[in-house]
Amino acid sequence: SVQAHKEVENPQKTMEVNGLMPLPDSYDYDLIVIGGGSGGLAAAKEAAKYEKKVMVLDFVTPTPQGNSWGLGGTCVNVGCIPKKLMHQAALLGQALQDSRKFGWQFTEEVKHNWMTMTESVQNYIGSLNWGYRVALRDKKVTYENAYGEFVGPHTIKATNKKGVEKLYTAERFIIATGERPRYLGIPGDKEYCISSDDLFSLPYCPGRTLVVGASYVALECAGFLAGLGLDVTVMVRSILLRGFDQDMANRIGEYMKEHGVNFIREFVPIKVERVEEGTPGILKVTAKSTTGDQIIEVEYDTVLLAIGRDPCTRKIGLDKVGVNINEKTGKIPVNDEEQTNVPYIYAVGDILQDKLELTPVAIQAGRLLVRRLYAGATTKCDYLNVPTTVFTPLEYGACGYSEETAVEKFGEENIEVYHNHFWPLEWTVPSRDNNKCYAKIICNIQDNERVIGFHVLGPNAGEVTQGFAAAIKCGLTKEQLDSTVGIHPICAEV
Amino acid sequence: MGWEERQVRGYPEFVRTAQSYHGRPIFALFCGDKDAEGKSWCPDCVTAEPVIRKELHNLPDESVFIYCLVGDRAYWKDPNNEFRRNLKLTGVPTLLKYGTPQKLVEEECFKSELVRMLFTED
Repeated sequence: SVQAHKEVENPQKTMEVNGLMPLPDSYDYDLIVIGGGSGGLAAAKEAAKYEKKVMVLDFVTPTPQGNSWGLGGTCVNVGCIPKKLMHQAALLGQALQDSRKFGWQFTEEVKHNWMTMTESVQNYIGSLNWGYRVALRDKKVTYENAYGEFVGPHTIKATNKKGVEKLYTAERFIIATGERPRYLGIPGDKEYCISSDDLFSLPYCPGRTLVVGASYVALECAGFLAGLGLDVTVMVRSILLRGFDQDMANRIGEYMKEHGVNFIREFVPIKVERVEEGTPGILKVTAKSTTGDQIIEVEYDTVLLAIGRDPCTRKIGLDKVGVNINEKTGKIPVNDEEQTNVPYIYAVGDILQDKLELTPVAIQAGRLLVRRLYAGATTKCDYLNVPTTVFTPLEYGACGYSEETAVEKFGEENIEVYHNHFWPLEWTVPSRDNNKCYAKIICNIQDNERVIGFHVLGPNAGEVTQGFAAAIKCGLTKEQLDSTVGIHPICAEV
Repeated sequence: MGWEERQVRGYPEFVRTAQSYHGRPIFALFCGDKDAEGKSWCPDCVTAEPVIRKELHNLPDESVFIYCLVGDRAYWKDPNNEFRRNLKLTGVPTLLKYGTPQKLVEEECFKSELVRMLFTED
């Protein structure tokens, strides 16, 4: 195509001079995907299966600390993957302690080496980045490590890290740019604090850490850092795990508190200063109470901000093509076919308004969307009853309604909650907590006692929840659950 | 300065050679031993080698290409051989960029596009 790979100094000026940018007769690509994360890569690989000409643009704007990473998006590089590996590292530490009661004898004190763990994790991530590049190249998907933004109808400008700009056109686009951690907007936040974008590749042990936030990111990170033997404090503005079942959230918090994580409740940081240089050095945090005038000052080696994530939708030229976004949140509203208000522009993943921010959801949405576009399929992504797991020290798996939401939607008199504490057999011998693991199901009385909510707190919660999610999708009722014989001795039999 | 090739056989010689080039980009191709007629016991290695050699001119300046014969078939099949244990090799042929997770294994080595990507991209 004549239009391909034009290098234009100032496309904006060209547009103004020429008036409206003319639509090319043939596009460079059938599909351009902006964002090489879970959703974007799934969509791109699927489209290649149908012999479509596809390009993926992926670019990571470095963190305030200067950190960046390779192809694969948040999940692979600074999310689910390193998080679960470090959570596992912490669990292994606990297992080592338990092992003595099972007869293992070792006299040396067991210590943890942050650098060894981080190097292994980053090595694995590197192999995933490479694997994605091989997969794309093998399927003839063009990949450019460049920042994509719309400059006109069907036209995108890609800027690489050397500042070289190229223009590309496509018949359709999928926006899958994901999110990045939010900063507090207080003095010292960007200069001295780190986020989850920095934690998993930190080239030194974080030491005594303050985690600001009460999201699952905050609690999971605080959880494994404490499990590795570090002194960890969590500063919470109001409630834990907003949006999750609050009874379960409080149980998680209690467990963490009893297992060495400090909590400072109802305070927010207002200033961060450096007291001593070093890696990590020492930081002083000044915080104000949310319920009064009290001000406190505390010192930590590292401050990790985990107060939320914002969509990367403000600087990709959406205004140039008329794509609507929610001005307040930055999220993109789409119809049930992931289509924005501009018919040839679609969106998947964390940036979608009112949809779950989970990797498997983004992957499913991306794949089904592409099948509808190019393979004549009609299946839409089902966002209902999506199971999820929080990998806090005591893991929490859930599928369906929280108790509060069920009460709100169906009325307290129409739901029945069945619950039980349980003591994992593996915890008995090493004398671990006998009253913390917990499971509950929420049933809709008016619909045959159909199970509409499933919650479990205990080891391997994710593994337990996955099967129940499939059962719930099939319309599991309490009676069917009761008539299913349990496997013994396992946690899930409860 | 262009690139240069070294040919080695066996794990200790490979390690010594790689260490001697510390600081320069090192690419390595691991193949099964060749018989008196120059044919390897590993059929995939026979297919891959010419594809890879055709792409060698893409190697970055200053880099080293180490062509390493791993041993005979029996040695290779041993799950505890040094290449499997220390370099985590899972198959021959393996073409890799030493010190990075970037590698191509078996049929991936037949594809000149992938070989070129390994040699030229970061």
